[in-house]
Amino acid sequence: MKKNSNNSSINNSDGNNALVSLNALDKVFYTDDIETHALDKIDFSINKGEYISISGPSGCGKSTLLSILGLLDTPTGGQFVLAGHDVTTLDKDERAKIRNEKIGFIFQAFNLISDLTIEENVELPLSYRSDISKLERRKMVKDALAQVDMSHRANHFPSQLSGGQQQRVAVARAIAGKPDILLADEPTGNLDSKNAGAVMELLDKLHANGATICMVTHDPRSASRAGRIVEIFDGKLVADRQSETPNAIAV
Amino acid sequence: MIKSIELKYSLRMLLKKPLFTALTILIVAIGLGLTVYSFSLLNSLVFNPLHLNKNSQVMALEAQFDHNHLLRMGADPYHVNLAAEQLGIFSEYGYYTEDTTFIGGTSSKHSALFNAKKMNATYTSWNIFSFAGVNPIHGRGFLPEDFAEGAEPVVVLSYEVWQDYFGGDPAIINQELALDAEPGRIIGVMPEGFVFPQHAQIWQPLRDSTVNPTKASYTRLYAFARLKDNVDLTAAQTALDGFTKELATTIEENFKWRIAENGKYLTVQPYKQAAITQYYNIFIALLVVVFLILLLACINVSNLLLARVNERIKEVAIRIALGIPRKKLVVQMLWESVVICVIGGALALLFAAYGIELTNQMFNQTFAVNDQKPFWWTLTVDGQGLMILVAAVVVMILVTGLFPAIKALNNDFNAVIRDGTRGALGKRAATTGKVLVISEIVLSCVVLVLATLLLSTGYFASQADYGVKTDNRLTAQLQLPPEKYPVRRATDFEYQDRVTRANVYYDIKAALESMPNFKAAAMMSQLPGTGEGTSYFEIEGRAAEVYNENPYSNNEVIARGSWDALGMKIIQGRGFDHRDTEDGVFNLIINESIARDFFPDGDAVGKRIRRVGRNGASDTWNIIVGVVSDTYHGSTMRSSSASYNSYHPNDNIGMMRTYVAVHYTGDEKDAIAALTQAVSNVDPDVGIYHVQSYDNLIQQPMMLLLSVSKIFLFCGIIAVTLAASGIYAMSANNIIQRTQEIGIRRAMGAPDKKIMQMFLKQAGLQLTIGLALGIAMAVALSSYMSNTIVINPESYGLALIGIPSLIIFMVLIATFIPTRTVLQLEPSDALHYD
Repeated sequence: MKKNSNNSSINNSDGNNALVSLNALDKVFYTDDIETHALDKIDFSINKGEYISISGPSGCGKSTLLSILGLLDTPTGGQFVLAGHDVTTLDKDERAKIRNEKIGFIFQAFNLISDLTIEENVELPLSYRSDISKLERRKMVKDALAQVDMSHRANHFPSQLSGGQQQRVAVARAIAGKPDILLADEPTGNLDSKNAGAVMELLDKLHANGATICMVTHDPRSASRAGRIVEIFDGKLVADRQSETPNAIAV
Repeated sequence: MIKSIELKYSLRMLLKKPLFTALTILIVAIGLGLTVYSFSLLNSLVFNPLHLNKNSQVMALEAQFDHNHLLRMGADPYHVNLAAEQLGIFSEYGYYTEDTTFIGGTSSKHSALFNAKKMNATYTSWNIFSFAGVNPIHGRGFLPEDFAEGAEPVVVLSYEVWQDYFGGDPAIINQELALDAEPGRIIGVMPEGFVFPQHAQIWQPLRDSTVNPTKASYTRLYAFARLKDNVDLTAAQTALDGFTKELATTIEENFKWRIAENGKYLTVQPYKQAAITQYYNIFIALLVVVFLILLLACINVSNLLLARVNERIKEVAIRIALGIPRKKLVVQMLWESVVICVIGGALALLFAAYGIELTNQMFNQTFAVNDQKPFWWTLTVDGQGLMILVAAVVVMILVTGLFPAIKALNNDFNAVIRDGTRGALGKRAATTGKVLVISEIVLSCVVLVLATLLLSTGYFASQADYGVKTDNRLTAQLQLPPEKYPVRRATDFEYQDRVTRANVYYDIKAALESMPNFKAAAMMSQLPGTGEGTSYFEIEGRAAEVYNENPYSNNEVIARGSWDALGMKIIQGRGFDHRDTEDGVFNLIINESIARDFFPDGDAVGKRIRRVGRNGASDTWNIIVGVVSDTYHGSTMRSSSASYNSYHPNDNIGMMRTYVAVHYTGDEKDAIAALTQAVSNVDPDVGIYHVQSYDNLIQQPMMLLLSVSKIFLFCGIIAVTLAASGIYAMSANNIIQRTQEIGIRRAMGAPDKKIMQMFLKQAGLQLTIGLALGIAMAVALSSYMSNTIVINPESYGLALIGIPSLIIFMVLIATFIPTRTVLQLEPSDALHYD
């Protein structure tokens, strides 16, 4: 384990196996005359198959970092390499394509679309891919729902499900397209402890099956389930260490 | 006190966004203003019953409206008296017919009447003034003896005539006054403003034998009536229908034409409604359109307030969390609507009053030439109008205030406070939004299609080619005094009388054409562009089995040598000359359209045709001696107008009245003076009136419709503004509320193009539903109007292609711009959009 609280350039991953690589990444917000550095020279990488948690206090920049990792936002400076490709300056459509094929999202507020059924929600990212036939798409949806044990609710609407069930559906949606990396933003933030535990177990299971997971959380117990814990403070990466109790039950 | 705090808070909120407040108030003012205006218009013209100083309303009792000629039809008083006696449904009734009478002349004691003046005369039964509950201010009304055969002709003057021509001199009672060049006597003066039954300037008695005939006759009289207290309108009409059914079995063969093909004859209806039968549907369509605009305004204001609620949803959530009672919250939200609607209502009253003022001016202008404006066509915003305004303001406060308030209260405030996000638009909210957009599309489609149809039809009618030259043409009506130019049918004098009458017109024509101002003169019963209505004719040897399967044409009577003045040309055969003047010769000239369509081999000249109707064919065959260039009689926008025309020589008829048209050079004023002088030179007792330019004459029958078109135009402009702003606001609001959903879709990898396509597709679906409903409703309403006016194909094309295209454009723009705005956000911002 390496720890350097004074240097935001910390990298303990194996550079040859890096799925994500951030080099001196900056994100500055401008409001009137005020300049806010949400991320400040972040150097950081994630290897394939790694389970990493990003934690820190509110407003430290962890969600901004996750948004940039998910190509939902663009950095102001620095470089972002994903699966060997520089994605820093891609145009909107190229970013959308990468989001669709290589990234799966799990949000705190589930973000299921209320007008679509569970099955349609899971199918949503697949419907934007032209390389998958309808039949194949159906099978992928079925498999994803089976993995989260939600097949029996396929024709329901999100409002008919509990929070925990909705988050499981969100996980199914994230994994349905077999992405390279799963990005989870406070996945248990809106859940009670029982449902939170179930979702964390689901993530553990996915990781055990080889998924790369990057999770933002401010809950130390959830963070400790990841193999690697990264801490951010005031937009700087202040700690990057291996967890002492990876995959422990966080209750 | 609490209310005062809430009111202060509402005022502060409204003042914080002055543009929003001004826009909302303006929409309310326009919607309510139009409502009050149209209600006042229709109330004065139709709905407010005419009572005339008594409790029960005045009814019109007459024969069924002639839709073929767009004419009110008088009934045979013999039949009316019979019905009244048998059915016992009328408490009182009387007769009238309207005509013109020339008063005064060279021997008049009053200088203003040295040249005889044409008056709108009402010939009436003796009880007209007691029926109206109005007594003369000087002299007396009619007595039964004034109606006796051989009684001295008497006249009652209107206040205005008394003032204008007799200087308000009370001593004129019992003085002599020439009536159509015959001696008569003034017996009374009516109070100021009294012109019943419609626009009378003088009243003269009908003869007793006319109002109390002992057998059926060709007489046509209108009747005013009051129903007995225990008889309602429906029951009265049912009784009259029953009477007609009975009558149909006993009526003499030569009067069977009185009963229409649908079995109807005598009708009773509210007096005001009877006066606008041909326009009634259009006024109702106007009412529907205004109601739809009010709905549009309501939806727009609701949506604006709803958008505001969405902006303030967090504030509302905090208030609820702090324990504000829901009732209080609703009241606070209602206060904003109260302020907006009350100020809007006050402005609406000003708008309506201004509109009423303009309409009154328009009516005065419309009837300036003939002075025949019905007396109740003076609009005001009365107590009922104010009541409607107050009621509409209350309804609008409830609709625009309660709807957003209820919506706000139904939100999940816990969720709003907890994570500060709204989440994706709920299914119910999304459906509401879609329904509102579709409603906007439907309403705007109906209003705009109707407005376009009327406007476009009016425009095309004003630009129509009537087949005549109207520039530098003056027109006027000539009328022969009956005592001097009698009509003695079925006597030895009949032919000579006809020749005398025809010759006076030829003398006038010759006098006109000899004057330096005039190039040519024409005389025709109704000039092209006016007159309308058709009757069937049978071509010899080609009679249809059923009379109404024969061709039909408009028929006019014309003086010889009249074509040049109108710019018409003989195409085949010849014009009328001395060969057509002999007794027993009935030649006619047809127009080019008839010749082309029914004599395609060019062999019309020499063929014989005769008039044919439901009761058989005429005994008189007319020989076609010529074919004249096409003209169009009646306005092109009236369903009764005709493109098939036949012309008969005046020598066969000897009209009592005719139109004259002169082609003049130089100044119009000089031409008018010369025209009047020429007529007077030939015979000062021949009346000349309604002197006006030909263009004005053609416009006259369309003026009311064109005026209504202008109201529709105004409605159309309002509707476009409301629809465009409403559709944009509604779509934008729906899309903005789906910002988070857009963020989710983009996070899932949806390209911007796909999201844009999705929204455009949804807009397309809303357009399809909205336009299908809107077009169907508009077509249904337009067909309701089209039994009065002819809507030309160009107008249909413009309305049914142009308007949907405009709406499609508006909706697509209203979808494209807000979607693009949301897509310009980073997906992460869209996901956390609040």
